[in-house]
Amino acid sequence: MLEMMRDPLGAPFFPVVFQALLVVTWVLHIHFVTGAIGSSTFSIYAFWRKDPNLLRLGRITARLTPNMVGLGIVTGIAPLLFVQTIYDPLWYAANTLTGFWSVTFIFIVMGGYSLAYLLFYLKGSKDGRLLWSAVASLVLLSFAGWVMHVLHQVSIRPDQWMSWYAPGGVIDTRGVQFHAYDVPRLLFLLPLQAGLSFAATLMFVSWYLRQRVDADPTFLDWTAGVGRRIGLWVAPLYGVFGLLWAFTEGPEFGLTAFIAVVAIVLGIGLFAFFWLQNKQPVRAGAKALGVWALALVVVAVTREVIRAVSLGRFNYSVANYPYIIDWGSVIMFGVTSVVGVSVVTYLIMVIYQSGLSADGTVSAKAEGFGRVATAMLGAWFGFFVLIGLYSSLFLR
Amino acid sequence: MYPVWEGMFIHSAMYVAIIATFHVLASHLTVAAAWFNLYIERRAVRENREELYEYLKRSALGLMVFAYVFGAMAGVGIWQSTTAANPRGISTLIHNFVLYWGSEWYMFLIDVIGIIAYYYTLGRVGKQTHLRLAWLLALGGSGTLAIIVGILSFKLTPGAWLENGLSLAGFFNPTFWPQVLMRFAFMFVITSGWSLIIATGLPRGFFEREKIIRYAGAIGLIGLVVGVGIWFLWYQPTLPAHARSIMSSRAIVPITYPLIITGVVAAAATLTFSYFRPQLQRRWIALTFMVLLQAAIFGAERVREVIRKPDIISGYISSNQLLFADLPARGVEREEQRLKEIGMLGNLPFLLPADQIDVANISTTDAQRQIAVGHVLVVQECGSCHNVSLQTQIRFADQHLVLRSLADLFVLRQRTTAADIDAYIKGIQGFPYMHEMVGTDAERAAMAAYLEDFIKQTYTNQPAVIGQK
Repeated sequence: MLEMMRDPLGAPFFPVVFQALLVVTWVLHIHFVTGAIGSSTFSIYAFWRKDPNLLRLGRITARLTPNMVGLGIVTGIAPLLFVQTIYDPLWYAANTLTGFWSVTFIFIVMGGYSLAYLLFYLKGSKDGRLLWSAVASLVLLSFAGWVMHVLHQVSIRPDQWMSWYAPGGVIDTRGVQFHAYDVPRLLFLLPLQAGLSFAATLMFVSWYLRQRVDADPTFLDWTAGVGRRIGLWVAPLYGVFGLLWAFTEGPEFGLTAFIAVVAIVLGIGLFAFFWLQNKQPVRAGAKALGVWALALVVVAVTREVIRAVSLGRFNYSVANYPYIIDWGSVIMFGVTSVVGVSVVTYLIMVIYQSGLSADGTVSAKAEGFGRVATAMLGAWFGFFVLIGLYSSLFLR
Repeated sequence: MYPVWEGMFIHSAMYVAIIATFHVLASHLTVAAAWFNLYIERRAVRENREELYEYLKRSALGLMVFAYVFGAMAGVGIWQSTTAANPRGISTLIHNFVLYWGSEWYMFLIDVIGIIAYYYTLGRVGKQTHLRLAWLLALGGSGTLAIIVGILSFKLTPGAWLENGLSLAGFFNPTFWPQVLMRFAFMFVITSGWSLIIATGLPRGFFEREKIIRYAGAIGLIGLVVGVGIWFLWYQPTLPAHARSIMSSRAIVPITYPLIITGVVAAAATLTFSYFRPQLQRRWIALTFMVLLQAAIFGAERVREVIRKPDIISGYISSNQLLFADLPARGVEREEQRLKEIGMLGNLPFLLPADQIDVANISTTDAQRQIAVGHVLVVQECGSCHNVSLQTQIRFADQHLVLRSLADLFVLRQRTTAADIDAYIKGIQGFPYMHEMVGTDAERAAMAAYLEDFIKQTYTNQPAVIGQK
């Protein structure tokens, strides 16, 4: 059935490339999404405790949340594209079976973002008077995570789709049921990952700001220490809930040992990393983000393995997905990738370098690169018009 | 074929329309506002006018939060809602254009990271550096517009793609160029509204307040004139005859055109007023203008969607998600013909054979079973565009608000018995916006039986249609 459901047009390039892009872009997406949940949770804790240092940091993290949500949404578009290219039967079946929540999802995220933004707009809510807003935002954002979790869990169980859609031969077109979920997996991927994303982000930001001449070293050292302590507490739980995930979902796909090994390695590895940063955690900020990115790649690959094994039971494989090489697509994407990566790199350089100094200095080298990147983006329109004219005139 | 999600309370297609309308407003705003801000910033740099940065700062913050982030969310919302409402339609687009969408994603990253950089570095980095950021935002935004229009316009006019299957031929299709230029022009009307909202919020007597309002009025008027001109002289003549005939049919809800015309008139009046009497411009006028503009966009986007009927991709896949044309260049064979011969039930994933429908209910009579079978078929074949059950009706008192309810349509045409409905469905392809029903005679009879029952469910008291669309 799954093969029959695949789009007859096939993929426009090697399917395995889409799979790789799916993994890479999901890592970016999940970092920002869980980072938002983590910073939101921390703000609530800080507002509630009202310790001066905590409150100061909580106000900063409250302002971080909406930016992380925004970036989470933007980076989420790419995996959304690639998943439906090579896993279209899964994604579409899950979204129709859970239609109401799939559509409501975006309103939930909008609500969560708006409430988080309320704190941002009021500059982190002095003295934590907007605690309710932070709590409501966290609840909504977490609920959005739950919806995505259910969609994924539904998608990897094709054997149950028909019984969910038409129990007793009566079709259910409401899409309101949460058909499948695995609580340990959800806890592993959402709140615990949120803790670790936040810990790594906190250490990174402290390290970054510490380089400024007008920095407050005491506060930033303390902040990095907070990040490290969060990592130390959460990493073992991460491993434990990973094990629970292995024992709850693993047997269904014959992957108990595999998930368990991943969970143990991640739990111990991350704990060891945070433990070893006991002297000057602020100096390990960049390293912390790198290690965490690596851990997320491992998680992303693990998710892919589970999906592949689940679908393998129905002879569905990305490797067998039909495809053609559509050169128009390849040229458009290739050229835009070169231009896009250059411009985004320049933008990040501007944000990074201007934040390092009190007067917002951007190096001459970065400026030179910016001139080239801007020219490339301008030239992209020339390329676009030329290829458009060629297509309009000669591909009729 | 996939499970059908009809919607809850509101029809699935209306979820798409509501989210899409907001997205159009926000996304068009980001592009044109980026150009307007670039224009303002260039003046600020060249003429060394610091006071203009106050406007830019207010505008950038609002854009970052409202247009870019909410626009992005609504963009994802369109994905989610179109996926749930018509998965095979979006699948066709994805499998043709995923790498074009991937290209748009880069432009979008430039937009979102760009506006963060733009806002947070305003007043911190050098003026030339910041001006470069303004350029990048304007160019990146225009890139997103250029790419998405190729995909959107493909749905109505796939052009040579129907023969050669090449993505480039489908992307740069017959309506691509007029549509991209027309949208680019109309964007400036939206951004004028935005600029008026921001500028009228500046303190009275603020040095540049009136000048910015005048600029906004002038640029918006130019956009309006150019956009309307392209519509009449280039875009509309390029539309297929089929689409033009639907534009003047009852498939378009009567209120649609008054909504659009009101928006255009309101734009012309507000922008002219802003140009000639900037000192009298008020925030409430600007806000009212934006609301009217939103309503006009809703109308225009609905027209754009409806003139494609009965297809999702014109000439290739119909609204019931079945392929009705071969595409030899891509090895695709049509599905409709085969299903007309062997029947729908049991021959597509998620469509149970007739003898497995409602099996749990052992006391069902043959007539009830026929209605149950008809329900499955009607949901599958008609549910994408029509209200076909009480689930997507909002009812209060003895009235109901619905999207193109089949119960209402048959009552209006005085076809309320199964026999009449059966005969009506048999000739349904006589309407320009309908395809022939797919399935066997027995399946059509079952559909008619269900529709008769549905009319009774809907009109338990007395007919009262308030939401005929």
